[in-house]
Amino acid sequence: MSRHLPVLIFAFPFLTGVAMPLVGLWARAWCRPLTLIALSGMSLLTLLLLATVVEDGPIRYAFGGWAPPVGIEWVADGLSSLMMVALSLIALLAVVYAGSTLVQGPLATKTALYYTLVLLLVSGLTGIVLTADLFNLFVFLELTSLSAYALVGVAGGHASLAAFRYLILGTTGASLYLLGVSFLYAATGTLNMADAAQRLPALLSSHVVLWGSVLIMVGLAIKMALVPLHGWLPDAYTHAPDAVSTLIAPLITKVSLYALFRIAYWVFGPETMTAQIPILPVLSWIGAGAALVGACLALIQRHLKRMFAYGGIAHIGLSVLGFSLGNQTGFAGGVFYLITDAVMQAGLFFVAAAASSMHGVRELGDLERLRGRSPWTLAALIVIALSMIGFPPTGGFFGKWYLVLGALERQHYLGVAAIIGSTVLTLAYFFRIFEKVYLEKTPVPARSPEELPWTMRLGLGVVTLALLILGFGSDWLIALIHATAVPKGL
Amino acid sequence: MTEDVLGQANFFAFIFLFLWGLLIMLSHHNLIKKLMGMYLVQTSVILFVVSLSAKRGGTVAILLPDLTEPGAYLNPLPPALMLTAIVVGVATLGVSLALAVRLYRQYGTLEEGEIFRRIE
Repeated sequence: MSRHLPVLIFAFPFLTGVAMPLVGLWARAWCRPLTLIALSGMSLLTLLLLATVVEDGPIRYAFGGWAPPVGIEWVADGLSSLMMVALSLIALLAVVYAGSTLVQGPLATKTALYYTLVLLLVSGLTGIVLTADLFNLFVFLELTSLSAYALVGVAGGHASLAAFRYLILGTTGASLYLLGVSFLYAATGTLNMADAAQRLPALLSSHVVLWGSVLIMVGLAIKMALVPLHGWLPDAYTHAPDAVSTLIAPLITKVSLYALFRIAYWVFGPETMTAQIPILPVLSWIGAGAALVGACLALIQRHLKRMFAYGGIAHIGLSVLGFSLGNQTGFAGGVFYLITDAVMQAGLFFVAAAASSMHGVRELGDLERLRGRSPWTLAALIVIALSMIGFPPTGGFFGKWYLVLGALERQHYLGVAAIIGSTVLTLAYFFRIFEKVYLEKTPVPARSPEELPWTMRLGLGVVTLALLILGFGSDWLIALIHATAVPKGL
Repeated sequence: MTEDVLGQANFFAFIFLFLWGLLIMLSHHNLIKKLMGMYLVQTSVILFVVSLSAKRGGTVAILLPDLTEPGAYLNPLPPALMLTAIVVGVATLGVSLALAVRLYRQYGTLEEGEIFRRIE
């Protein structure tokens, strides 16, 4: 049974997603419960997978009984099962949060299709996390992106234009990735990650391998919106319907980042990537730059969701910095920060969705309307803000702590400066938000507090709790990452 | 030099198509023309990968009873992979055209700048 766990986990969202349009024809009321059942089942199985992997070591699954490297292989090791747990729980939480309140407007008439796309998106992300085959990864990358384009663009108007641009850039990224993979295939004759890792050391002088790796990295950098390739993200996240941005903001860029470093560390290996093909040092500079640029751009935004989107871009930069330091502390810090950041992004877009759907607040200038009327939203926002800035005892503090330790170990002082600079800028833009909420002198019309539906209160509560748990349990989680998720040779 | 170029004709054709596609995507403001550029980029990659399996005197990879030597066959993997990539490309084109139709119905134009002006 446990041998089949990776594919069972994939089957839950995928089969339900494929069946969903038919379910929608007969009984539309069943779409939402079925989606929740599929995602809950998937979440339980990912927890089981993590427990199994920690206990007995990685699970390798060969499809159709074709032994790798001929067949397609999926691998659930410490890192991928940890990512799966975070991914499935956040997806479940986002669907619970969206409830029936956020699935409105153009989404309300197409409920079945909305849930179909959500489930296909989640199965695509699952595939990216679990696969150990370079071409298989391309297919899942595109499955994920196609669902995301459709979800972003469904609302029409500005959202469709944003989705169109996202599609053009995303497809260019995917084509570059595919080209890079074909270069590697031409050089090594294999698509299996472990097999390629064995053959590559003998071929490092080849220009084909060099350009292949560069193309793969650029392609995935577009998908994860690494500055300066982040052009598609702010518009797409700002104009997407609330039920969509809460789901895609915490997941897509994070999983693409995971894919990039899965290839960098498990196919090329840390030594190659720092010495012969110095991509990791370059990425650490770009990550530091992205952390600063993203936070600066967040500071000057007036639109709430746009500000959070740029905040997410900055945090992607921080995770990239941690992963590319090339030491164990930095890597573990990067993984920890990636998971914390996914929770924080979910929380921020939850808050933005609550503010816009319940109180009509989209711009920073309207924020005063929240004062005294939305205690749940504001309480959650305070905890998330503390974590984004990096105050103890939240997860954000410990993430940044390990990133700084890793950077000091590598003597990457500019990285340390970037982390601190980005922290100050984050403090500044959250100050702008709370200034608008609490310090504006304009009198607020006295109205009784509007209650959020219980699904939204649950979502905000869970996110808040998760950030505190990540903070208090950071020692345990970091130890787990060190024990199971750090690549060999680091 | 000439032999080098002719020997790698597939590569040069690919570079030409790829860059041409990128140029179209960057320089045109019409959404459909942008899509044409995008499709050209995708197709150029497919052409390149399929050409990787080309071989002088090789035959298609269907096992013949009297031909048991593997070297006589083309490598079947790149075309098989590209079949999947073509399907992905068609799906992408479908979604992108749907978005373009959506925008055209709402704004009555396919020029990106014009759509922007009407949004504001």
